[in-house]
Amino acid sequence: MALGRHPRADAGSVSVKELLATMDGMGIATAVVSSLASRWHAPAAGNRELVELLAGVDRLRPCWTVLPDTCGEIGTAAEFVDQAGEAGVVAVRAFPADHRYTLDGPDLDDLHGELVRARLPLLVEASQTSWEAVEVVATRFGEHTLVVGDVGYRSLRSVAGVLSRCPNVYLDLSHLASHCGLEWLVERFGPGRFLFGTGWPLRDPAEAVTRLLWSELDDAAVRQIGSGNARDLFGPDTEEP
Amino acid sequence: MSLASDLESAVFDRVPQRATPIIDAHAHVGPYSEFFIPSCEPADLVRVMDRVGVDKTVLSSHLGIQLDARRGNEATAEAVAAHPDRLAGYLVVNPWQHPVDELARWADDPRFVGIKLHPDLHMYPLTGPHYTPVWEFAERTGCPVLTHTWTGSEYDDLAHIGVVADRHPGVTLLAGHAGASYAGFDTAIEVAAAHPRVLLEICGSHNSGATIARMVRALGPSQVVFGSDFPFIDLRCSLGRMVFAELDDADRAAVLGGTAQRLFGWRSPPATDRTDKE
Repeated sequence: MALGRHPRADAGSVSVKELLATMDGMGIATAVVSSLASRWHAPAAGNRELVELLAGVDRLRPCWTVLPDTCGEIGTAAEFVDQAGEAGVVAVRAFPADHRYTLDGPDLDDLHGELVRARLPLLVEASQTSWEAVEVVATRFGEHTLVVGDVGYRSLRSVAGVLSRCPNVYLDLSHLASHCGLEWLVERFGPGRFLFGTGWPLRDPAEAVTRLLWSELDDAAVRQIGSGNARDLFGPDTEEP
Repeated sequence: MSLASDLESAVFDRVPQRATPIIDAHAHVGPYSEFFIPSCEPADLVRVMDRVGVDKTVLSSHLGIQLDARRGNEATAEAVAAHPDRLAGYLVVNPWQHPVDELARWADDPRFVGIKLHPDLHMYPLTGPHYTPVWEFAERTGCPVLTHTWTGSEYDDLAHIGVVADRHPGVTLLAGHAGASYAGFDTAIEVAAAHPRVLLEICGSHNSGATIARMVRALGPSQVVFGSDFPFIDLRCSLGRMVFAELDDADRAAVLGGTAQRLFGWRSPPATDRTDKE
């Protein structure tokens, strides 16, 4: 999920209260939240603002937006990751297409290394990079955790290949839209590779909620995907929905 | 209990909904070359319909819209024959593949309750003369026509819908995907508001419950029809928007099934008697 008004659609919310109300309506207990200001305006400032907005709200866990450290915008990679840890950040998000760098280029190597050191998962939408780049990073940094969202319904041929070769690549359910794709993927790779995620505000959270709960998966797999895997990746104090 | 709470409870309890008849007015069947579909045969579709509580699905075959209308329509007819209470067919008319013959071949076959056009895939504008037999048939019979639409397309933008609706005011025209983009939804609403026989069909990657509610507020539920686009887009992703959208009970029931029930009634009403499957 992301906090803020979306600039290219009638979507989003600038207040924590509205975001929590949206979650309550869908039965969502806890969310990893990034800042639309970090994506669409000023990444570093948006990250700082996000921490202020989420202060004291236990149900919302901050997710910072990363950049290459080549221009000093986020300090060094090590400084960025240390600051993220101090701020309670549980994951980071990359927008390589929007922010004009490559996920698997040398400019991000230091950051990937620091994220591995701090055990901070990296979230990225499929439309922001390529499956080839995801595989390069996942292979080069074997202890890294990469979570790909916004997969759509046209990518299973690539998705299945990457998941089969890269055990450290996960998918979230935001716009994981292939008909019966979730069941097919879980049968091949197990429920441990998938995380509940909505993609709000650009995506309607009803999609992911309904997709998971009305799936043909058993209750244990639904619980694991709905919250268990996220607890393992993002921290033990993530609430049960 | 409201319809909304009944539907939400079914989702949260992980059981099929039984609260209202649901007709899915935009679906397909069979494999598709561009990408892998894990589950796309007729029985697979019915199994997922049972899982969530969809009564009837109106579909066209991927073979028909992609490659071969004649063989594709045969595949659709076979799928409907295998599940006559649960599936109904759209007759695909490819403007390059003998539209007159294909219409004549299936005109009296009750397995087909509508016509499906895909101008983008067939690379032929909705306003082109090859489609004239379709409009003549639709005006004469009341058969609804579902066409793919895509905002900005040179073949099936909402402007094309408006032109056809002006030329053929007696045709009932479903704008599939309602333009399909955030910016296009407003135009879709404007076109439908100006043409009472234009209905917005709501499946697609970029729609949402909030936008569907906006469509219903602007047009009323008689011009908005639920469709999922499965087995492209998962049925549950599309249906979830309708479950949680801010609609009153009457509007939600109409969009989910009531409006489609009337739409396809020119042939014979799709079975939506809930006792059929219980």
